[in-house]
Amino acid sequence: MTPSKHDLSRPAPAGRERRRPSFAWLGVLPFLAYATAFLLLPAANVLIGAFRSPNGGWTLDNVATLFEEPYRTAFKNSIEVSLVTALLGGLLGLMIAYSALREGTPKWIRGSLTTFSGVAANFAGIPLAFAFIATLGVLGVVTTFMTETLGINPYDHGFSLFTKTGIEIVYLYFQIPLMILVIAPAIDGLRREWREAASGLGASAFQFWRHIGVPILMPSLLSAMVLLFGNAFAAYATAYGLTGGSIGLVPIVIGFFLSGDVLDNPHLGQALSFGMFVVLGLMMLAYIPLQKLSSRWMR
Amino acid sequence: MKPRRRIAPGAVVWLLVGVAYFFIPLAATLLFSLRDDQTGKCCTLANFSYILHDPTFWKTIRLSFVVALETIAITLALLVPTVYWVHLKVPRLRPLIGFLALVPFVVAPIILVVGLLDIYRGSPEWFYASPYGFLATAYVILAFPFMYFSLDTGFRSIDVHTLTEASQSLGAGWPTTLWRVILPNIKAAALAGSFLTLAIVMGEYTIASLAQFNTFSVFVQYINQNKAYPAGAVTIIAFAITWAAMLALLAVGRGRTAPITEGEK
Amino acid sequence: MEDFQEQEYEFLRRLEEEKLDRRRLLKRGLVAGAGLTVMSLSPAALAARQKALADPPTIGRLAKVSDIIKEAKKEGRLNVIALPPDWANYGEIISTFSKKYGIPITSDNPDASSAQENQAVRSLKGDSRAPDVLDVSASQAQVGANEGLYAKYYTTNFRKVPRAMKDGRGFWVGDYWGVVSFGINRAVISNPPKSWKDLLKPEYKNKVALNGSPLSSGSAVAGVFSASIANGGGLSNIQPGIDFFAQLKSVGNFLPVQATPQTIASGQTPITIDWDYLNIAYGKNFPASKIQTVIPSDAVYGAHYCQAINATAPHPWAARLWQEFLYSDQGQLLWLKGFSHPALFTDMVARKVVPNALIKALPSAAAYSKVKFASVTQNSKARATITTEWPKKVGS
Repeated sequence: MTPSKHDLSRPAPAGRERRRPSFAWLGVLPFLAYATAFLLLPAANVLIGAFRSPNGGWTLDNVATLFEEPYRTAFKNSIEVSLVTALLGGLLGLMIAYSALREGTPKWIRGSLTTFSGVAANFAGIPLAFAFIATLGVLGVVTTFMTETLGINPYDHGFSLFTKTGIEIVYLYFQIPLMILVIAPAIDGLRREWREAASGLGASAFQFWRHIGVPILMPSLLSAMVLLFGNAFAAYATAYGLTGGSIGLVPIVIGFFLSGDVLDNPHLGQALSFGMFVVLGLMMLAYIPLQKLSSRWMR
Repeated sequence: MKPRRRIAPGAVVWLLVGVAYFFIPLAATLLFSLRDDQTGKCCTLANFSYILHDPTFWKTIRLSFVVALETIAITLALLVPTVYWVHLKVPRLRPLIGFLALVPFVVAPIILVVGLLDIYRGSPEWFYASPYGFLATAYVILAFPFMYFSLDTGFRSIDVHTLTEASQSLGAGWPTTLWRVILPNIKAAALAGSFLTLAIVMGEYTIASLAQFNTFSVFVQYINQNKAYPAGAVTIIAFAITWAAMLALLAVGRGRTAPITEGEK
Repeated sequence: MEDFQEQEYEFLRRLEEEKLDRRRLLKRGLVAGAGLTVMSLSPAALAARQKALADPPTIGRLAKVSDIIKEAKKEGRLNVIALPPDWANYGEIISTFSKKYGIPITSDNPDASSAQENQAVRSLKGDSRAPDVLDVSASQAQVGANEGLYAKYYTTNFRKVPRAMKDGRGFWVGDYWGVVSFGINRAVISNPPKSWKDLLKPEYKNKVALNGSPLSSGSAVAGVFSASIANGGGLSNIQPGIDFFAQLKSVGNFLPVQATPQTIASGQTPITIDWDYLNIAYGKNFPASKIQTVIPSDAVYGAHYCQAINATAPHPWAARLWQEFLYSDQGQLLWLKGFSHPALFTDMVARKVVPNALIKALPSAAAYSKVKFASVTQNSKARATITTEWPKKVGS
């Protein structure tokens, strides 16, 4: 394989000007400028607001409150739901994407799958909540079918759509498509030749996956799952439509503070956002060494 | 192992599972939308007719669609060169850009919009009060994580250095390299990112409603909160229209130059 | 506006109306207080002050209705927010106003919460899309008034509005009220509950839903208030209400779904705790679901919403015309048609201007006679309790 991009000791190719790394970062300036103006400034607004008190002074009280109930539970719930749907959505998305993209599968399935995934990845909020209520709710289509045709009523056996598990089931509806969309290019990169070469050398399918397939996909898998985690963490309209806010999730509580009619400490809402920032920041920090570890396979 | 000509059984299982999970809730919604207002029973197209004959429906869908296209254009123009440059010249910046790309998740839309409205209040009316200005700008931010991760994956699976060197040694300048060599190779990734952006814009509610823009999702939310059976109809219609838009995008993407590497397959 | 400014305007208005000139006024000895300052002004400043008369009035009673209509028509538009058409018949109110005065209305964001309405006033200050008038909950009205978001305006009928339903400073005035009720889908439920106690019966397993979460929706807080009254608590103690919902949840009857017209019509939320005017409207709109509205026999809790005018409204005259329209008999009857109790209900009944058909469409007056309203302080206290106790007891 050609020398990888991670090999920085490669001499600059002939015909190009001398490497001047100090100016290379200028190329990302437009992006940085846009991000600063329209993202970092409002975000800074929030982070600073988290440390202000209603009378204008500085305080750590808001952040301290985050460790009390019910906020602690909200963070626990949010992290749990996001982790579960990121992992599960990642795995299921990978299997479905691979099934659609591997050779042997008709080409039209790929087009339909990617476009459908594009729509489903953003199908959320009350329409999604209602779609599942109409399916798995107390009087839902599947529930009624199971009760009348199979004689088992899931609600009598402890299942309820209106729990954390229910939220996870519903969240998968946009997590799986998101995974499919993001991992598809990586699966494409898994060239058919490698599988052929591996089998030509006598490797079984399992061995191929274990030694070649999964390691190659790992960096993309990891970054995709981080994306899924962030996506689930920030989602709230669906969970609210499903459980009316009785299952505390951080974005729902933020919404209560900032646009609800009852709670009235916007600084606490901003502190919650700061908390979100920390959680996601930690996730990113964990992701960087994981990335390095997994990319080693590429060399 | 000879190249398969028929679909693998494992693939069939997974695809069927996927179809079941994704279509049953939609079917339930569809059944609901076919019910009659007065009798509560199937089957009538009156609810669909109600939506399709509502002028607000057409107005808002047109608006959202145009804003979506604008957002896609701006995001691609901003991110493709950036990600390319980062992969090529400054890989050290990747974690930073990646982190920046995750920030939109952290700043909940509701906070982003209040902050933006506050900071840019003094800006000219043609920007501040226009969905094609203020709203598109905010949506580009929302699209960042998705577009970035898609593009990043795409760039990761091609060999940027070789392609660039080859192109430049053949005498092409940077713009040509970017446009005619790199872009076709990350087409799949760019398209995936564009799909996601389109869906995000069509489905985004918080920013649009707080900034008082009457977009399609504001209309959908209104129907969902105030009408019963038409709500099912508008869900199905919204789904169908967004899907059709994506198929159109896909067709447009296919029509362009085939990637260089296809010959190898 | 300060009081002396009001007097000044009064004075200048009289000046203009009676076409007095300065000298004669001085002779008449009307020069006192504010008048002195006006008298000592240079002609240019006086002209400026008279131009300021073109500012919209504070006291509706003292302004000429024809003037208001004229200026409103000149402004040519009215921006409203958070007025769903099926909520207390706002759809018809909006179209009637538009037709009557030829002023088009832009109805933004019908699903905004009261807090979002106040936020829109803050965020869109100075923008031509800002809302001119607001219909907010009593607590948010207090927030807005204290923050200076509203303009002072005493509608012509201000005096007739019950004391408990208006702000003495003139920043807001109560518009209509309703009581917490059960909306029961008779197609699903054969034996309707009649009281809060009934809701605990096992036959209602997984069937009782609230209209949102009490942590964010004022209507849901009202539901908890009502439950509290029925369970030994009261307006000053909302804990029994929270405990009741905890109990409802533990016996499995509480359905934590946000009730929407879809869930109600489809029968997914067969018993909905919501405002009477909304439940009765659902009954009319979804005949197949046979929605019956029941006011609980053990608690009658009511709350009113408040009208306010944006202090920086882009169309201030149209805003005042809107208020005058709403508090006229025509406007009040339209609210009644939406099954709510308008602010001047008692007065209209006394004057016998209410059509019989409208009175019959509501549940009996006897049911409403026991109604209790919470004061703003009681409301705040209840919300503070809910904030800490609800997630513990009912959340998870």
